[in-house]
Parts: sequence; structure tokens; C-alpha cells
Amino acid sequence: MLSRVAENLYWMARYLERTEDMARLINATTLMLLDLPPGAYFGWDILLQVTGDAKLYDALYGAPEESRIMRFLIADERNPNSVMSAIHQARENCRTFRDLLPGEFWERLNMLFIYVRENAGSGSESRHARYAFLNEVISRRHALVGLLISSMSQDNVYQFIKLGRNMERADMTTRIVDVTSAVILPQDQGLQKTAGSSLWIGVLKSLSAFEMYRRHISVQIRSNQVVDYLLKDGKFPRSMKYCLGEMEVALAYLPNAGTPAEAVRRARRRLDNLKLGNLRPDLLHEYLDQAQKDLAMVHRTVQSTYFAREDMGLENPANNLHLRAAQA
Amino acid sequence: MDWLSTHYQQQITYDELVDAQAHPRTAAEPLFNYLSTLDSAELQARRQAADASILAMGITFTVYSEAGNIDRAWPFDIIPRILSVKEWTRIEEGLKQRLQALNLFIDDLYNEQHIIADGIFPAEVLAGSRNFRAACQGIHPPFGVWAHVCGSDLVRDADGTVYVLEDNLRVPSGVSYMLENRQIMKRLFPELFKSSIIRPVDDYPNRLYETLAALSPRPIEKPVIAVLTPGIYNSAYFEHSYLAQQMGAYLAEGADFYVSGDDIVYLRTISGLQRVDVIYRRIDDDYLDPEVFFPDSALGINGLMRAWRRGTVAIANAPGAGVADDKVVYAFVPEIIRYYLDADPILPNVPTYLCMRDADLDYVLEHLDELVVKPANESGGYGMLIGPRASADERARFAELIRANPRNYIAQPTLNISTAPTLVGDHLEARHLDLRPFILQADKLYVTTGGLTRVAMTPGSLVVNSSQGGGSKDTWIVDEEAPCFPE
Repeated sequence: MLSRVAENLYWMARYLERTEDMARLINATTLMLLDLPPGAYFGWDILLQVTGDAKLYDALYGAPEESRIMRFLIADERNPNSVMSAIHQARENCRTFRDLLPGEFWERLNMLFIYVRENAGSGSESRHARYAFLNEVISRRHALVGLLISSMSQDNVYQFIKLGRNMERADMTTRIVDVTSAVILPQDQGLQKTAGSSLWIGVLKSLSAFEMYRRHISVQIRSNQVVDYLLKDGKFPRSMKYCLGEMEVALAYLPNAGTPAEAVRRARRRLDNLKLGNLRPDLLHEYLDQAQKDLAMVHRTVQSTYFAREDMGLENPANNLHLRAAQA
Repeated sequence: MDWLSTHYQQQITYDELVDAQAHPRTAAEPLFNYLSTLDSAELQARRQAADASILAMGITFTVYSEAGNIDRAWPFDIIPRILSVKEWTRIEEGLKQRLQALNLFIDDLYNEQHIIADGIFPAEVLAGSRNFRAACQGIHPPFGVWAHVCGSDLVRDADGTVYVLEDNLRVPSGVSYMLENRQIMKRLFPELFKSSIIRPVDDYPNRLYETLAALSPRPIEKPVIAVLTPGIYNSAYFEHSYLAQQMGAYLAEGADFYVSGDDIVYLRTISGLQRVDVIYRRIDDDYLDPEVFFPDSALGINGLMRAWRRGTVAIANAPGAGVADDKVVYAFVPEIIRYYLDADPILPNVPTYLCMRDADLDYVLEHLDELVVKPANESGGYGMLIGPRASADERARFAELIRANPRNYIAQPTLNISTAPTLVGDHLEARHLDLRPFILQADKLYVTTGGLTRVAMTPGSLVVNSSQGGGSKDTWIVDEEAPCFPE
């Protein structure tokens, strides 16, 4: 397989995952904010912190405010992480290798792109329209993943898609945990008592983890258990540990996987050594910072092993934005 | 219903399917017998089914516009264009003869130039050619063949004569549409294909593969072949991807290649560098290698020409093959055939006036209202003047252009090119059309069965190019000696 094709597959998968993650994050945050006691200091700008786009937002829109943040995160193509940008990038990447995927895949991806383009504007306006719109995006994206899972050979093409999907997923999970715990954990704000558990419920829901957490861990929502579940659970498909495992499996099918596989193992060793029993906010933040760096290293080794074109500059600069934000 | 007697208004010129008495020609009789069993609603339903197939199969071409590039569905007419085997066999021989002679000509131009020394082809025409590449001099590609894939445009005049209108020797496109058109027709009208008298077209990708594989510098069983495309925004990207897939070849862009210091061409793959034997390039010479041609080309491959000159990689079509794809050179093709093959041309040229000749120039300027004037090096129907349809102002403007640069213009009488019935709304109307067969040459010669029929969808229009609103039809080569269509 050509390096460029592999790179496009990987990025298509990342952007598709990002499309869904953004939609999910916005919906869950909306529901969560409705539960907060009046006067809670926490606001919509937490979304900007999670996605790492606060600076860009500030430059484009100024003060944080719900409807503008929603336009920025859903419909604004100047934001490379918006739902609109992500689905657009996924589509452009897919155009170059339509023949490698099941026939309906391109058609459905294209329909999803057209749906988002036609509805992103109105879908970012009222809370009601927004919820319906984002849910539709999520369910269409599920249909795309289902199509791949049920009708694709587990060949190299599939492995690059799997790599991209799990990289993006792990990235999003660590960001969400990082930002939420930074808001909730400091004890002196009293937030922990009044709203802590409803915030964590919101987080679990944004990752579709609420039911699984209750069934496998506890009916009670405790900070350290939620963080432990989202990072270290071996069976939940959005935990960091699970995503790393999926990447390792994908790499096992690919040639010359030594360096990237080692990078994945290093990230997992660090995760395994993390003790979350007595959760200290500063240590957790330090760890999550390191986890983001480890993921960035996995990404870089995948890139230099499979996509590198030494004399061409490294890659499409647009694809780098998200990552740089992650490292900042 | 009887489609011809009730609706068809024709006799503008020669009609491919209908004779002067408004009766179907022999080869088209079974088609009209079949159509007569369908009413208007049924035919409409088939047309809608065709449109749906085209959308579902994703057959598109890209149109450049100010609003950005758009993928447009390929406009397709469900009434086929039909030629008899007898007539086609002669055309096929003529096309092979022509490509053979053109390849001998190109090889001669880049080497000894006998044809110039012998006074058949003027040195000043070569000197003025924009497509002659000095970098190709002294090269002997395999089998002496430079143009491996040729798409010649044929038109038929009112008296029934089939002419070669131009030879496309650079990167002719359209063959994938020919193949897809047949797929659609088989889905839509399976009744007509029950017997085998419509000759199949689908061996083209295999023949193209064999032609390319024959050029491989390494004598290995499965040479590595890559289709070099400018990328997804090119109007023919659909075709590049289609052909690569059909041949099991890599579909690659310039940046996917790497030429090593010892002049070997590689592809960058996830398993490392993979040596390439044959490149079927779908970009123009100018963009092929920034080391030799346009230095700022981002589409090409640095060092490709070094490798080609050393013979470590084959390129189809060879760089420089376009020297014979020039409307001035075109005028000399009958002489070129006589010179190299010692035979008379089987297919005639359209009579052509060369503005570089003083006598021709005077004639052209005096008869602009009767002639079609074309720039020597353009394709796609751009920059031409159709005299009888142009305004006085347009003709005056063209006269200036011609006087300023006579070498760059040729003129031909306006042909009254043939028509065929085309479904317009709920009835058939006559529309002008041409035919682009594809001819392959390496160690062997091959001609597609028929070719791509392009049809001008606008009433009376002679412009069939897809970039300018043309459509296409399936092209049937039918054995009329033994028609056995089912009722």
C-alpha cells in the first residue's frame, strides 16, 4: 500500500472519530449544565478547554457565550476541530481511496457530509435543534463504523483505520478526564459536594460509559473510580487502556511495526503504573500531560514509519493542528 | 410505439441509425423493433434507471468553475450508437495503420530525422512545435513506440465518409466511460444482449495491462505498474482510479515516487520503497519532471527523465510523443503514412489549410465564414472558431490572432457531422456526435471495439466535449449479416 493512501486512511478515521466525539461531547455537556445548581461557576468554556481551541475562539469571537461557542464548535470551518471541519476533512481524505472500502461507504460518508453542511447552521442555534442534529450525526457515524466492521476484510486498509480511530479516541478520553478533573477535584470550591457526581455522570455519558460504569464498577459515582475506569479499564472500548490495546493489535498486522508498537507499550506501562487510589489533582494532571505526550509519540512513530516522505515536508499541515493543540 | 414515424425530425445530415427515408439502417433495425414495444413512460423509466445507476456507480467527471470544482454526473443517453462490423473492420485497420505510422514518425524525429532530410516534412514545422522535447532526442524506447495509448477522434460527414479529425497522443481520456456505458446498457436493456452479436468491449483493461507490461525494463512476470495521476481535482481522476483498479496497478501521485541517485524509480509504500517498472502517466510532459520541464511543477517526479533516459523505467506515453499531436502535423499524416508504410491511408484526413503557408493563409482569411479555425496545440474544443456560426466581430478578432501567429492556426471546411437519435424529454431528436476509439501499441496493436461516442446535447451544437456540456452514448459494433435479436 502506498504511504499516502495509508496516511489518508488514518486521518479519515481520526476525523470521523472526531466528528462523533465532538457531537457527543457537546450533547453531554448541554445535559450536564442543565443539572447544575444555579450559581455554579462552571460554564460553556469548558468545551473550549477540552478541545484545546480556547485561543482560536477568543481571537474569532471574544467572550465565551453559549450560542457563539456552539457555532464555533459545530458549524465554523475556521475551527479545524469543528464538526463541520472534521466531517469535511474525513470526506476529502476518503475521496482518494474510494475503491479500497465497501462500495456504500463513500456514498454514506458523502451523505453525512452533505447532511452536516446543510444542517450545521440551524443545528447550532437552539438547544432543541442542536440535540436532534448532533444525535443524527452520531447515529450516521455509527452506521459507517458498523459497515466497516461487518463488511471489511481485516487487511492493512482496515488496520490503518483502526489505528486512526483509536488514536483519536484515546486522545479525546484523556482530554475530557483532564479538564473535568481540573474543574471538579479541588476540594475547597465545594463543587465536589454539590455537583461533583452530576458532572462525572455527564462525563460518563459523553463517552457512552454511564451504563457500563454502573454495571461493572458501582452505582455510586466516585471521582477516583470514574477516572480509573476511563483510563485503565481493560474492557471498555473508550478507555485509554483499551484504545492502546487496539492500536497494538492493529500494528501487529502491519509491516515494520517495531518502533510504533514499542511506543504504544511504553504508554501502556506508564498507565499501568499509575495509582489512582488516592487521587491528587496535581499528580493526575501531571500524568495526563504525560499521557498526551505518549500518544503524540505513538502518532509520530506511526507517521515516520509509514507516512514519511523525507523530501516533501512531513505532512499536510492542516492535519497537524489538533496534535499541536494537544501538545500545547 | 413507433418512435421514428411519430416524432423523429431529422435529415439535417447523415444519421447513424436512420436512412433518408426515415427507416432504420440494417444494423439498427433490431433496436427499433425493440424500442417499438416500449411506450414513452417505459422509456422514461429506463432513462431514470440509467441516471440512478450513474449516481450509484459514482461515475463522475470534475468541472472547473469559479464556485470551486464540482463532480458532475456523467450525462448519458440511452439510445446507443450502432456501427456494422463490416464498416468497423475497415476503420480498425485504418486506425492501426495510422498509429503505426505516427510512432515511426515520432521515433524518426527524435533520432535520424530521415523524413526531414527527404523533404517530406518541413524542418520549420518541427522548429515551431511546442510539443517537441529536446530532452527526448536520441532515445530509443522499447519497440520504437512512443505513443502507446492513442485516442483518435472520428467524425462522419453528410455524405457518409468517416474522417479522422485529430489524433490524441498525449493523455487521451474517456475510455472508462466507454466501459461504464456498456455496463449501464447491460443493466438497462438485458433483452438486447441475449445474443452475442453486440461485440463486447470489456477486454480493454487487460489489453492496456498487457501493453504496459510489455514495456517493462525488467524481464519479470509481474512488473510493477503505476498510474500517475495529478490527483483528485483532475477532471479525469475517476478514470485514473478506475483503470488502476481494473489493472491491479498502483494509483499514485508525483509525491508518492522517489528516484534514487542511481536513477531507479521507487514508490513509497508502508513496507518501504517498491521499485516501479512502468508508469502510465496521466499528466502532461510539462509537469512530468521538474528537473527537466516546468521547474515548479508539484505534480511530477523529480529525476524521472534521468531514469527514463537510462531505460530503468518505461513511461507511457513516452515523453515527447505529443510532437505528433499537433494540428499542423495532422495535415501531414497522409504523407507520413505513405512515407513510412508505403501505403495509401485507409482513413482520410479532413482537408486542412495551414495558415503558415501564404496561399492557405490568404484563403483562410477570405473564407473565415465557411471554415472552422483551430489553434495548433489546444485540445478540449477550446479557442476555436466555427466560422459559419460566429459573429462578424468574432471573425475579425480571429483574423487578428491568425495574422499575428499563422503557425499556430489551421482551418478546415465546416463538416456537417452526423447525428443519431437521442432521447430528449419524451421523444427522440437528432444530435451531432463523434467517436473516439482507443488504439494501443507496444509489441502488438489493439483497437477498442467501437469507442466512446460523444454527443452534443444542445440542439444543433457541434461541441461534444464533456467539459463543455457534451454527453455520451454506448457504441455498438453489430454483426448485421446475422441479426438475431429477440422480438
